[in-house]
Amino acid sequence: MTPVIEVRDLYYSYEDGAQALSGINLTVGTGETVALLGANGSGKTTLLLHLNGLLTGRGTVLIGGVPLTPSSAQRLRAKVGVVFQDSDDQLFLPTVLEDVAFGPLNQGHPPAEALRRARAALLSTGLAGIDDRAPYHLSAGEKRRVALAGVLAMEPDILILDEPTTYLDPPAQRNLARLLLALPQPKLIATHDVRFAAAVAHRAVFLAAGKIAAQGTVEDLAKQYDWDWASFSPRP
Amino acid sequence: MRHHRIAGWSLLDSPLHRRDARAKLLATLLFLLALALAPQSSALAAVPFALVLLAALFFARLPLLPLLLRSASVLPFSIVFALIEWASGHGPHGGALLAKSYVSALAVLLLAASTPMPSLLHAMESLGVPRAFVLIAQSLFRYLFVIAEVAQRMRLASLCRGGTSPLRPSAGFRASAGSLAVLFARSQQRAHGIHMAMLSRGFHGSLPLAVRPRFRPSDAGFLAAACALGAALYLSVTLR
Ligand SMILES: Nc1ncnc2c1ncn2[C@@H]1O[C@H](COP(=O)(O)OP(=O)(O)O)[C@@H](O)[C@H]1O
Ligand SMILES: [Mg+2]
Repeated sequence: MTPVIEVRDLYYSYEDGAQALSGINLTVGTGETVALLGANGSGKTTLLLHLNGLLTGRGTVLIGGVPLTPSSAQRLRAKVGVVFQDSDDQLFLPTVLEDVAFGPLNQGHPPAEALRRARAALLSTGLAGIDDRAPYHLSAGEKRRVALAGVLAMEPDILILDEPTTYLDPPAQRNLARLLLALPQPKLIATHDVRFAAAVAHRAVFLAAGKIAAQGTVEDLAKQYDWDWASFSPRP
Repeated sequence: MRHHRIAGWSLLDSPLHRRDARAKLLATLLFLLALALAPQSSALAAVPFALVLLAALFFARLPLLPLLLRSASVLPFSIVFALIEWASGHGPHGGALLAKSYVSALAVLLLAASTPMPSLLHAMESLGVPRAFVLIAQSLFRYLFVIAEVAQRMRLASLCRGGTSPLRPSAGFRASAGSLAVLFARSQQRAHGIHMAMLSRGFHGSLPLAVRPRFRPSDAGFLAAACALGAALYLSVTLR
């Protein structure tokens, strides 16, 4: 079967010369959730931004088998939903409902249909009844779910999440994990949070200095890279 | 956060909030036109205009004092011009200029506090304002919020460490200039993040509006009343 995401030999350096990706090869299959682990600055965000054409490096990115090019980017963007690390970047309209309807309206749906999709997405993220609230008055957990709803309203085939547990308290993290498990789309999730990754992902890849250093189960990679608290001796 | 207050107010409900954005935009333009045409001879000419705005503020159920204070933010600019007038022997002109600019600022704030920005931008577009201009206004609006937010965070961070607001000139010129540079760099970064997030949700040039506004008879009535009032105000201060 065609992988939903396929990245081949992807290189990218920022304008100031920093080499952020140095030869990434990665596939995500249908129905699969993959965790993207790695240190701060290892290139996770940079990689994710390539998957809907917000950045273009040297190499190939295929979405559902279709090469991502400047001319196909706008169309493929509707298929690849990205939830950004900072919800405040993503939420910018005055009310929750309008913000969630932003994507479907951009896709060209008439307002009535866009609002229907927005309401359905809010319902599926457990946010019914806050349509008219201002996004900036919500809690971090609610903001994250509104941002996710804004992406789900576009009915994407693939979900990309950049450090989705940032700013969330443990109950909100569990809530998000439950929500993600219930969503059928394949997912690629950048995270530092090994327990969260283990809860939602089938497998993980470990990014180091712009390269995929290892692949395996979340548990194995966590052990290999000493990526959780297991080796820490607690306060005597 | 504080700078979101106007955006927050614009979502309240009142007879004024319920009017169509196009009607309110036109009424504000008429008001500003009448005010601009009013005689320059004395600051008193602005008084009837101010009274009308106060009445509108009351109907819009908006908080009086914060809006009055905010409108004063135009004064530093007008004071310079007023001083020039005064220095060239036109003292009363200077006073009229100050009063007019204050009342104009209040009128614009009233519009912004009673109309959500996306509706306002759409109103501009449907009234024939060139698309490029609307786009610029739209991004300026968004980026103003960004800058205000970043500035506020920097201020808090400085206060927490026992400093003063780093952007105040009293912090010393070097310090505030340095902070200003940081402010712009950070704002630019944040604006970039927002732009990326918008693009990733298929943004391609204009803010779509979920709810198509309808121009109702009550909006037409409001506009007609505003025209009559504008004319009456103009006449009342010119024929005296
Ligand atoms: N806009 C940018 N301009 C220049 N360099 C950047 C920019 N964004 C990220 N980088 C650099 O690229 C590398 C990878 O960053 P990033 O993808 O954000 O990593 P991660 O998301 O894993 O923390 C880092 O060295 C970072 O400093
Ligand atoms: Mg990152």
